[in-house]
Amino acid sequence: MTLGVAVEQLAREVETDHGVPVDVVAVGDCLLDGDLRAMLAAGREATVNSAKWSGAPVVSLFTEVERKRVSMFVRDRGSGFDPGAVSADRQGIATSIRGRMDRIGGKVTIRSTLGEGSEIELSVPRRNGRT
Amino acid sequence: MTAGPPRVFLVDDHDLFRTGVRSELGDTVEIVGEADEVRAAIELIGERLPDVVLLDVHMPDGGGQAVIEAVKRDHPEVLFLALSVSDAPEDVIAVIRAGARGYVTKTISGPELVDAVIRVAAGDAVFSPRLAGFVLDAFASALPDGPRAGFDPELDQLSPREQEVLRLIARGYTYKETARELSISVKTVESHVSSVLRKLQLSTRHQLTRWATERRLI
Repeated sequence: MTLGVAVEQLAREVETDHGVPVDVVAVGDCLLDGDLRAMLAAGREATVNSAKWSGAPVVSLFTEVERKRVSMFVRDRGSGFDPGAVSADRQGIATSIRGRMDRIGGKVTIRSTLGEGSEIELSVPRRNGRT
Repeated sequence: MTAGPPRVFLVDDHDLFRTGVRSELGDTVEIVGEADEVRAAIELIGERLPDVVLLDVHMPDGGGQAVIEAVKRDHPEVLFLALSVSDAPEDVIAVIRAGARGYVTKTISGPELVDAVIRVAAGDAVFSPRLAGFVLDAFASALPDGPRAGFDPELDQLSPREQEVLRLIARGYTYKETARELSISVKTVESHVSSVLRKLQLSTRHQLTRWATERRLI
């Protein structure tokens, strides 16, 4: 399966489970490997998190495959949260997203402003990308 | 464009959809006509000369592309905004290359649609996240081994700034949010997007068409 197909599938599943539309934009595509499956799992948590808690009418999911890395952005214009706060479900999810990405040598960046929404950026270097 | 709200014409072969769009647009624009098929659309648009045509990409008899091509011959001043449920890149690229000033998906919210119509009426280009993604993809895949014969850098590649702008739009940022993120003005974002639209329409690269039919796997 390719990343593009898997991301579409993820989006449809989250839409069905949580009743919030997930808009997917994909630039480039590649076959899935173990690292990308882990990143997808992290991306799913971020997407579910947005759909469940942000209150935004839509969640945007963007993936880009470059020669040396693959990145994924999950964005909503919902309630936002304080990435530094320790309480609540949000932090738990942020931690588990970080855990998954750390194990594959990936990176997580969380941007969020209360009242404006949030964006979670995941990226992982490609092991077998062409040079 | 004349003073007052933009004069808008709707073309879509689904009645329910036109009804929906009409109610979303409300009083912020003046709806001057509707058509549910290509031939009627060409005739009525020529008569009523709207500022902006909201155009479905997919219709029998040539779709939105056929409407744009026929109207542009006699009335190049009429502006088109493509609106579609279609995610098929070849259709979207074809309608843009025929002359549409932008493309938005039918899931767009009412206020965003109004904003897009006003933007097009003012002469700007409107890129939905999906269109921005298509364009990034198309231009990135076109030159795997560097410039070739007949390559025109003015038209056949995106500048780094244009890529940054498109990437943010593809991530779901509005023009305003994109401007803030890059510390530039909204006007500058608009001018980058217009310049990308021009490249998309004028680039003679056959790869654009080829890309649209076979998305790349790298």
